[in-house]
Amino acid sequence: MKSAVRTSAECLFGVEDWHSAALHALGCTTFRGDVDEEQIADEAVSCYNCRYRRWLAEGISCLADPS
Amino acid sequence: MNLLVCIDDTDNLESPGSGHLASQLVDIIEAKGWGLCSFVTRHQLLVHPDIPYTSHNSAMCFGVTLKAPHYLAELITRAGDFLAKVAASGSDPGLCVAFLEQVVDHQALMAFGQSAKKEVLNKAAAYALAKKLNIHLSEHGGTGQGVVGALAGAGLRLGGNDGRLKGQLHFETPGEVVSVAQLLEHSLVDRVSGLNGQRPQAGEQVELGEKIKTVMQGGESVLMIEPNPAGPVPWRTCSRKQLRDF
Repeated sequence: MKSAVRTSAECLFGVEDWHSAALHALGCTTFRGDVDEEQIADEAVSCYNCRYRRWLAEGISCLADPS
Repeated sequence: MNLLVCIDDTDNLESPGSGHLASQLVDIIEAKGWGLCSFVTRHQLLVHPDIPYTSHNSAMCFGVTLKAPHYLAELITRAGDFLAKVAASGSDPGLCVAFLEQVVDHQALMAFGQSAKKEVLNKAAAYALAKKLNIHLSEHGGTGQGVVGALAGAGLRLGGNDGRLKGQLHFETPGEVVSVAQLLEHSLVDRVSGLNGQRPQAGEQVELGEKIKTVMQGGESVLMIEPNPAGPVPWRTCSRKQLRDF
């Protein structure tokens, strides 16, 4: 799930890539919603709301096991 | 007898979040009859390569009005045992219990909280400050790194201008229109405010969104609304995205 859109070795999306994060999560087989208090996107399914995303200063990385 | 209880670094990628454990602690304290608890707030701390955190680096805090001073020691022991037992594998849980009437310097605690949003802090600094201010701080597994966030979260909660409340508010169905006065009837809404500081009147109408949360401002639980130029009424509740920075 990570290789196609990664912009750097670490960061999957920047902090304001709302549309891309939602679109990507819709096609992701490992998406799993985080607890409510950690969700920030209005779209229920978004990488920003996924429990496998990790926040970085510049955006999010993905910790999901691609296997 | 007012306490702040804050926990941090209790979860891993698969476990329930720290917010869930904070709510369980609230239930334990109230079931024991030690005191009455207030809402749980989430406080965002710095994300930085030098800080070990699972995925978001946030602390969870709630207030307790203690019924008698002798419950304090029991509460601390029970909360620590609880964290040691239920914190997730690989986590580094920390517990802070600040008995506010006995905290030597409130400003110093608040300053530590603000620093933790901007700087990399360490356990030694957290323990040193806690000792100086007469605040309980303890670790309950792993590296115990969560003590930094636990102390910082208590400071941010004490400051009263940081964080979102855990959970969503439930009114009627999404799209429903209610008045500001009706919003204020909810037990978790202390104030209704425009996102840019506007002060809506009690009779003004607000369109409810799907996910309604409050944020902590001025020591209160504040429901943020914004102008609704294309809607049927002048105001609407703010979205999660808009509340991200609180």
